[in-house]
Amino acid sequence: MKRFWNGLKEDLALTDRIMLGSALMLSLWGVFCIYSAAAGAEGRGFDYAFRQAAWLMVSVIAMLGVMVFGHHKFLEGAYPLFGLMLLLLLLTDLLAPKVKGAQSWLGVGGVRFQPSEFAKIAIILMMSKFLSRYPPLDIKTFLAGLGVIMLPVLLVLIQPDAGSALVYLVISFGMLLAAGTPLKYLGSLVGLGLAAGPVMYFFMLKEYQRNRILVFIDPMRDPLGAGYNVIQSRIAVGSGGIAGKGFMMGTQSKLKFLPEPHTDFIFSVFSEEFGFMGNILLVFLFSVLFFRIILAGMRSRDRRCKILVAGVASWLWFQTFESIGMSIGFTPVTGLPLPFLSYGGSSLLATFIALGLVASVAAEGVNNHGF
Amino acid sequence: MEILDSRLKLFLYGMGLSFAFLMFGLYMCQIYQGDKYIRLAHNNRLRLIRSAAPRGEIFDRNGVPLAVNDTSFCIMGYPLDLNTPAKLDRLSKILMRHGIPINIPDLEKTIKQQRSAPYRVMRIVPNLTMTQMAELVADYDFPRELFPMSVWRRTYPAGSTVANVLGYVSEISEEELKARTEDGYAGGDLIGKTGIERSYEEILRGSPGQEALEVDARGRKIRTLDANPAVKGEDLHLTLDMGAQKLAVELLSNWKGAIVAMDVHTGEVLALASSPVYDNNPIAWGVSAREWRDIVFDPNRPMLDRAIAGVYPPASTFKAFMSIAALEEDCITPSTMIACRGGLRMGSHLFKCWKHSGHGSLNVMGALQHSCDVFFYQTGLRTGIDRLVKWGTILGLGQLTGIDLPGESSGNMAGPDWKMRRFKSQWASGDTVNYSIGQGYMLMTPIQIARLYAAIANNGSLVTPHLNKKGYKTPKKLPVTPKKLAIVQQGLERVVSIGTGSRAGRFGVSIAGKTGTAQNSHGDDHALFAGYAPADNPKYVAVAVVENGKHGSSVAAPMVGEMLAYLLTH
Repeated sequence: MKRFWNGLKEDLALTDRIMLGSALMLSLWGVFCIYSAAAGAEGRGFDYAFRQAAWLMVSVIAMLGVMVFGHHKFLEGAYPLFGLMLLLLLLTDLLAPKVKGAQSWLGVGGVRFQPSEFAKIAIILMMSKFLSRYPPLDIKTFLAGLGVIMLPVLLVLIQPDAGSALVYLVISFGMLLAAGTPLKYLGSLVGLGLAAGPVMYFFMLKEYQRNRILVFIDPMRDPLGAGYNVIQSRIAVGSGGIAGKGFMMGTQSKLKFLPEPHTDFIFSVFSEEFGFMGNILLVFLFSVLFFRIILAGMRSRDRRCKILVAGVASWLWFQTFESIGMSIGFTPVTGLPLPFLSYGGSSLLATFIALGLVASVAAEGVNNHGF
Repeated sequence: MEILDSRLKLFLYGMGLSFAFLMFGLYMCQIYQGDKYIRLAHNNRLRLIRSAAPRGEIFDRNGVPLAVNDTSFCIMGYPLDLNTPAKLDRLSKILMRHGIPINIPDLEKTIKQQRSAPYRVMRIVPNLTMTQMAELVADYDFPRELFPMSVWRRTYPAGSTVANVLGYVSEISEEELKARTEDGYAGGDLIGKTGIERSYEEILRGSPGQEALEVDARGRKIRTLDANPAVKGEDLHLTLDMGAQKLAVELLSNWKGAIVAMDVHTGEVLALASSPVYDNNPIAWGVSAREWRDIVFDPNRPMLDRAIAGVYPPASTFKAFMSIAALEEDCITPSTMIACRGGLRMGSHLFKCWKHSGHGSLNVMGALQHSCDVFFYQTGLRTGIDRLVKWGTILGLGQLTGIDLPGESSGNMAGPDWKMRRFKSQWASGDTVNYSIGQGYMLMTPIQIARLYAAIANNGSLVTPHLNKKGYKTPKKLPVTPKKLAIVQQGLERVVSIGTGSRAGRFGVSIAGKTGTAQNSHGDDHALFAGYAPADNPKYVAVAVVENGKHGSSVAAPMVGEMLAYLLTH
C-alpha cells in the first residue's frame, strides 16, 4: 500500500498535469451540462448529474490506478486482453437484451456496461504492440494489421453498432498512419473506402442510417422525422449567440425540442447555454488536451508508446469532432458520445483508463529525457 | 523513429485544422447567422400535433354495425401557455360562462399530469359537442393559444347485448404506455382493453397522423410544415349473428349464466351471451371512478364473460364424453348392460343415482337417455382415471379452446398428479366416481362444452371457436371410431325425443343433446344443456348454462331448443 502511494506521488510529479487538468475540467463542466440537460428532458437533472459525478470519481481512481500500474504491464498483456475483449463482444452479441434496437449492454451482477467502449482500449494496446513488432512498411504486414482490426469491427456490426465500428476503424487508421505506413497504402485504402461508399449506402446501411445521410445533405426533406434532430440542434446552437443564454436557461433543451440532450446532443445544450465564448473555451481545452497527448508520444522513446498515443488521440479526436460537427450539421448524425461531457459511465471510464495509459507514458518520457 | 515523430506532427496539424474548421462552423452558426436562430428559437416554435386515427369498425356477420366512431371535440393546449393562475382563472371563467363546469383546481390537475413536457400539446377540455365547441371558440375572450380538435369517440350501438364480446376501448394507461413504447402509442390514445377490441387491437387501431406547425410566440399557427394524415384501422367482420345474440341475451335476462351457439363444422361463433350484462358505452367515453367501482365490484360480476371464463361442473352433459372414452377404450360395448338400483356403495359411502328407485338394467344408449348416474359410475371405474384424463386431453378438456378473445379460462380436467400437488393427497376411486358424472374437481367453460358437442355432431373433428370471419382454422381430426360415435349420437337424440331433455325438442326442429344439473354447494344447483341440430345432419351446436337454474331439463333445455330453432329458421 505504501509502495502504491509513493508510486502515485512520484508519477503525479512526473506526469503531464496540464493534460490531466484539462480532462478534469472538461468532465466537471460535463456534469453541470448533464444536470441542465436532464432537468429539462426528464425532470431529474440531479439524479443524472449525481450518477455522472459518481462515475467520474470511479473513473479518476481507475485512471490513477492504471497510471501507477504502468503502461508496460498493459502492453505485455495486450494479446490476452484483446482475446478477452473479443470474447466479451461475442457474448454481447449472443446474450445482451435489445435496447432501442441494438444490443450493446452487458450486465454483470447488477452493473451494466458496454463492452464496445472498453474494446477500444484493448484494440489500441493490441495494435501498438502488433504494429511496432511488425511495422506496416510492406503490403503484407499492412494487410495483417488491417486484418487484426476487422474481428472487433465485425463483432460490433452484428449488435448492430455502426458508430463503434466506425470509431474502431478510425482508431486503427490513425495508428497505421502513426506507425509509418507508406502514404500510398493509406491513400489507396481511403480511395477504396470512397469507392465502396455507394455500395455500402445501397446494400449495407439500414433505412434509418440512409435517412441520416440524406437529411445531413438537406435537413428540411424530413423536418418531422430524421431531420428533426439536426434542425432543432442547429437552432439550439445558433440561438446561443455570442454569450449564450446562461446556465439552465436554454429553451431548446428545457422545452424538450432537443432529443437525447444529455447524451448525443450534450454539445448543443452546452452551446445554447454558454454561447460562442463558451465554445472557444471548450475547444481550447480539447486542443490543449490533444496537444499534450501527442506530446507525450513525441517525448517517449518507445515505438509502442508513440503508436499508442496516436490511437488514443484518434479515438477522442474523432468522437469530439463528430459530436460537435453533428450538432451544427457539419457531419451526419451518428450518436457517438462527446468525450468527457456526454452522460454515460462506460464511455467515461474507458476514456479515463486510456488517459491513464497516456499519463503513464508521459511520466516515463519525462524520466528518460530528464525534463 | 523519425518517421513516427513526423507522423505524430501530422496529427497535430490535422487536429489543429479540424478544430479551426469547427470554430468556423460555430462562428457561422452562432454569430453570422446567430440572429436568425435566436429568432427561430424565440419567436417561432415548431409544434407537433398528433391526430388519432379512426378505429376500424366492427360488424356482425350480416353487416350490422356493432362498434362505430362518432366525432366529439376537445380543446387542446400547451401546459406552458397555462402556467399562471391568472391565465387559468380566465380560461375557467370562459368555460363556466358556456356551461362547462371546469374550475381552476380541475384545470390545475389536468395540467399537472404533463408537467414534465410542457411543450407537448395536451387535452385541456374533453368531450364537447359541436355546438359547445363552436360557441366556445366564437367567444371573443377565448385564448388564441388554445385550439379545438375533433376526436373520435367509440360508440357501441348494441350496447350491453354484445359488450362481453366486443369489450371496450379506453385511454391508454401509464403501464401500457411503458410496455408498448415501440408501437407508437402516445398518452391519451385509445386502446382496446378487453374483448375483440383488445384481441384485434393491432388491426383496428390504424396509424395516427401527425402535423408539424410553425407557430408564433402567441401560439397562432403560421403555416403547416409537414403533415402525415391519420390512416383508419381495418374494419372487422365477426361471425356473430346479432339476431341470435339478442335472443340469447333475452333468454338469459332473468338469470345469471351463459349461452353459446356455434357452427359445428367451422367453429364460427354465432352467439356468445353472458348474463348479467353491462353497458360498454359509458366506459369507452370515460366514467367516473365511482361508476367504475360500481361495475367492477358488483357482486353479480357483470364484467366476467361467463361464456368463456365462467367455470362450471359440466355435470351430466359430461356423460357424452364418458361414453366416448369408455367405448373407445373398449371398457364397455354398445350392448354392455349395467344394473342401477338407485346407488353405488363404495365402502361406507353411497353414491346415489338421481332416480332413487333405480333405472334397472341399461345399456349405454339407455343410460344417456335416462341420464343414469350408476351406469356411468361403473363405467368410470372400469375405464380408470388415467384413461379418462388421456381422452380429456384428446378432446380439449381442461385446455383453452383458442377462441380469439382475451381472458379465456381453461377449466380443469386434472388427474392424480395434480391432486397430489394441489392437495397433497392420493387419488381415491371416489374421485373417479365423481368425475364420471362431471362433478368433483371437473370444471369446464360453456365454450368448451360447445366445442365438445360440436366434435360429437361433426363426427369427430375438434374445431377452433372464433369470432373473426377470417379466423377459421382447419379442425383437428380426432382418433375416434365413427361407429362408436354413432352410438353416442343416437343416445343424445333419444335424450330429446323420449328422454330427460324433451323440453328442448318443442321448437319444431330435431335436436340431439344432453341435460345437466350441477350440484352447487353455495345455493341452488346450476342447470345445463348442450345440444345440436338438426339431429340427423347437424349444423349448429348450442350450450346454455344457467346459474342456480335448478334443473337442466326444465330451464336450460328450452333455451337451447329455442336458440337452435332460431338459427335453423333464419
